[in-house]
Amino acid sequence: MFRTTAVRAQSIFRNALTPKKAQAATVSRFMSSHSTETDEQFDTRFENFFNRKDIDGWEIRRGINDLWGHDLVPEPKILIAALKACRRVNDFALAVRLLEAVKDKCGPKVDEIYPYIIQEIKPTLTELGISTPEELGFDKPELHLESVFHIH
Amino acid sequence: MAGTLVALGLRAIKHVPKNAPLRSAAAMSSYTRTLIGKREIVGFGFNGEPSYIDRADYPMPAIRWKEPNADIQALREKEKGDWKNLSVEEKKALYRASFCQTFAEFKAPTGEWKSVLGISLMFVSVALWAFYGLKAFVYSPLPDSFKPENRAAQLRRYIDLHANPVQGLASKWDYEKDDWKK
Repeated sequence: MFRTTAVRAQSIFRNALTPKKAQAATVSRFMSSHSTETDEQFDTRFENFFNRKDIDGWEIRRGINDLWGHDLVPEPKILIAALKACRRVNDFALAVRLLEAVKDKCGPKVDEIYPYIIQEIKPTLTELGISTPEELGFDKPELHLESVFHIH
Repeated sequence: MAGTLVALGLRAIKHVPKNAPLRSAAAMSSYTRTLIGKREIVGFGFNGEPSYIDRADYPMPAIRWKEPNADIQALREKEKGDWKNLSVEEKKALYRASFCQTFAEFKAPTGEWKSVLGISLMFVSVALWAFYGLKAFVYSPLPDSFKPENRAAQLRRYIDLHANPVQGLASKWDYEKDDWKK
């Protein structure tokens, strides 16, 4: 009885137990490695990402969320590419949200960095007809939302 | 019999269908539809769940905030044209259709720290009153050894015993002048 079970189990686990030589050659080593990408390459990579002609809303959002995981304020040229991508997919709200997020990303240096970025991307904003959050009145809290912890 | 069952069970575990993620996505979509209604899934969000949350570290949520209705559909048609033709109200309506709160709104201070501080201090005051109550009505008075003259006598005794003569008490005492070293 037990023998039957053992034999069957052995046949099932055989593949897992025998080392796979073919894979061993291609397996990557899990070692820490530092990125050798320079800042210029990083900027160009994201600029090219947003400049793709066939980009869709999903990819724009993914690109922005990825970019926001880095400890940096994106260069104006990346933002210009992203804003134009928003224009191509006809999503105005995304463009305004992006500008708001940039302002938030400036952190404590918002008074230094944000005006510079707006100054750099102003031609694009005018060209595409994008309003800054300030023009829409989004720089101050506009609506109050009751906390979900206080509703009931 | 039991062996067969075990073997079949293991086989089932081993032979997980290759399209399992796809299948679970299909099952999830029907369930999430009941949760998110007709809201459009527009992105990955912060963890792949089709949920809406305003987060500064993931500025783009996975779904739009509002379910599409006739007004929003009309706005979306207009959005395909030149954005310069949109009025400020229309731009704001478009934003609110996609997002719930602006950054300024969800990062606005709630003032909650005041109630937290206040309630904490209330608990501290209760603890202090309890301490003084116990001191007044429960504990017996401090022993005699806490009286100043008893403490002075104990210090004198330590000095007489030459306690800690290298770096401590006795090293600071001048035994010839019978006073502290200057």
